[in-house]
Amino acid sequence: MTTFSHRSVPTMTAARSVRPRDVASPVWHALASLRLALTLIAALAALVFVGTLLDQAPPSVVSDSKAYGQWLDDASGKYGDWTGTFDRLQLFNVFHSFYFRALLALLATSIVVCTMNRWRGIWATVFHTRVRATETFLTHARYNVRMDAAMPATEAAERLRKSLTRAHYRVTSEGPSDSVALFADRNRLSRFGTFFTHLSLVLILVGAMVGGIWGFEDPRFTVAEGSTRDLGLGTTLAVRLDEFADDYQADGSPRDYRGEVTLLEHGQPMKSGVIRVNSPMRYKGVAFHLSFFGQAAVMKVQDSSGREIFNGGVPLALQTRDGQRPVGSFDLPEQGLSVYVVGPRADESDGPIRAGEIRMELYRDSVRVARPVNLSQGMPMAIEGLTFTFEQESRFAGLKVVKDPGMNVIWAACAFMVAGLVMLFYLPRRRLWALCTQRPDGTSEVLVGMPAQRDFSLAGEFDRLQTRLAGALDAEPAHYESDGDLHG
Amino acid sequence: MADLSHYAFVAALIALVGALALALVSAIDLRGLRSLSFAGGPTTTAAIPGDSRETAGRYATILVANAVVFLTASLALRAVESGHGPFSNMYEFSLAFSWGALVIYLYFEYRYRLRTLAIFVLPVALALLGYATTVPDEIQPLVPALQNDLLLTVHVLVAVIAYGAFTVAFAAGVLYLFQRNNSVRWLPRNTVLDEIGYKAVVFGFPMLALVLILGAIWAEIAWGSYWTWDPKETAALFTWLIYGGYLHARVMRGWKGDRSALFLIAGFAATLFTYFGNIFFGGLHSYA
Repeated sequence: MTTFSHRSVPTMTAARSVRPRDVASPVWHALASLRLALTLIAALAALVFVGTLLDQAPPSVVSDSKAYGQWLDDASGKYGDWTGTFDRLQLFNVFHSFYFRALLALLATSIVVCTMNRWRGIWATVFHTRVRATETFLTHARYNVRMDAAMPATEAAERLRKSLTRAHYRVTSEGPSDSVALFADRNRLSRFGTFFTHLSLVLILVGAMVGGIWGFEDPRFTVAEGSTRDLGLGTTLAVRLDEFADDYQADGSPRDYRGEVTLLEHGQPMKSGVIRVNSPMRYKGVAFHLSFFGQAAVMKVQDSSGREIFNGGVPLALQTRDGQRPVGSFDLPEQGLSVYVVGPRADESDGPIRAGEIRMELYRDSVRVARPVNLSQGMPMAIEGLTFTFEQESRFAGLKVVKDPGMNVIWAACAFMVAGLVMLFYLPRRRLWALCTQRPDGTSEVLVGMPAQRDFSLAGEFDRLQTRLAGALDAEPAHYESDGDLHG
Repeated sequence: MADLSHYAFVAALIALVGALALALVSAIDLRGLRSLSFAGGPTTTAAIPGDSRETAGRYATILVANAVVFLTASLALRAVESGHGPFSNMYEFSLAFSWGALVIYLYFEYRYRLRTLAIFVLPVALALLGYATTVPDEIQPLVPALQNDLLLTVHVLVAVIAYGAFTVAFAAGVLYLFQRNNSVRWLPRNTVLDEIGYKAVVFGFPMLALVLILGAIWAEIAWGSYWTWDPKETAALFTWLIYGGYLHARVMRGWKGDRSALFLIAGFAATLFTYFGNIFFGGLHSYA
């Protein structure tokens, strides 16, 4: 211990006497404490519970402050005056909140520290078990039996070894020929399961981070039937929707959605196939999941010379705020125009937009040019020196496009988790000690003990074992003690 | 097939009512009644003697086994009729949950020779069947999101087994609270109840982990993301955390007895919350 006078004089000696380990040890102890782990689990459970009860804003909404404001407006219908408070506490986005992440980081740290702390101890109990148990230890073991064997101690020990080996125990023995000690165990690696499960939790967090850093995602990538769209997101991939189909049951519930899709890389078709809700297409680590679908409008635009400057399906994947009508847009970069296309509402037969029509609005730099016009199918219309034609209705498929390089880490972690839990809980370790002591008349006394803290399920196991061992020794169990009786 | 399935369901319901009645007779030592009979005269000794109680218990077990057979038949017939695993709506899931609770109960009864658990497990199983009669039971084709036979079957089957284990743990926890002073003669010793609750969680906890993992695998395939904080998966995670807390508190800090029992009851509340959650919080699991 450093004396006060030492500390008050800043010499090299004093400085060296405060080793990093001493400084770190209170922190280390705090992180390794089970009290902290339990507190963290309780805090996480509480947040998870809140996140289950309260509506959570989707990530795409949270990242867009305007959309989030709108979302909050809708939420206030449900949560009333509490909406503001919940929002300030980040409770509508609990799982991405600062404090949720901080808790996870702290939990991961605590797990790593606990693992480092326990590693040596568990290693020692697994690999360096004492073979020789004392008589007191054996007679105080929860399950124990004393048997007489009409044979020398070495012979009795040998028979025990054979019998236990056949019962899938691993047996080691030691000692002089008149007092042979045995130690037998099964599933001895069981306790390493705890490292697998705990580290798998850390690995899951690592996997999530890898995905967040190196992955990308477009949850609403839309492509109209017959059209090809570049994926973007730093790739050279494009998606063509060759056909989309939806089937329904007689009662109107959906039976099947499917899209025939071709993937192109550098403009070259690389892969074609059908995607469904439960069968995505995967290509070079990018997964294409069928997520939603809707109406599209095939539009053609020609300039004054009759040259085609746009021809393709426009997914009407958004909704207008007022009339809940499907709306989509496309750009004409040369003209600096954005074209908005609004379709009719399905349940509206006599509205401002009739079936077989679309309404079109043109914008330049977010300022509307020309009045909105309705286009009938197949009827060209000239606006701003361009000719617009609504060729026909069609459909679009909405894909969720994901690249998540962290996923393999996640699946590996899941495998570790299952392996660890199986080892720990379904293949528990069994340990048994025995002592064969030779009497002067050449016979032996055999003591077998199986310690277990309150493990009633071992009663059956020990029962079977002692019958087996008694048989091996041609002995009757002289004494069987167990407080494992089920009824009091 | 649908009719047969329904008959099997009704048969299971009846068997279970009988089983519960017999289990109560068997488990509860009606000492008041017995002394009354003694007072009636020497001819009516042993009104409910140990032998009769034992017999009642045996028949209770047989009826539970019958209920399991009938429920299995009911679910299997629905599977044959619909062509997919019988786990696609709340009716089928309730039957399956009840089935899981009964199967795990039978295992624990066999393993520990303990029938007393029945007096709390059977009412839960019965309540689930009762609930099933209140929800639509038409066989419906699967919506596209559920069209994955292997995962649908395994994911839900493992879930009902985990839920069944937690039901048994709950029964042990409740009985423990009645028996905290070892004052009830006809109940097992409280250390035994404590131990059984623990064993049931040890069995169910890895199962729930597997449910979450299988759910993640399926979510990745169908929705493109292994974890989306969907309310049902979040509720399942919450339940898993509670039992994780229980295991740590018990194994590492020696929490036993009252606190342990309360933990088991809270865990079962979380299980029910997970199970019924999709009805009120919507999300991707809102199929029924």
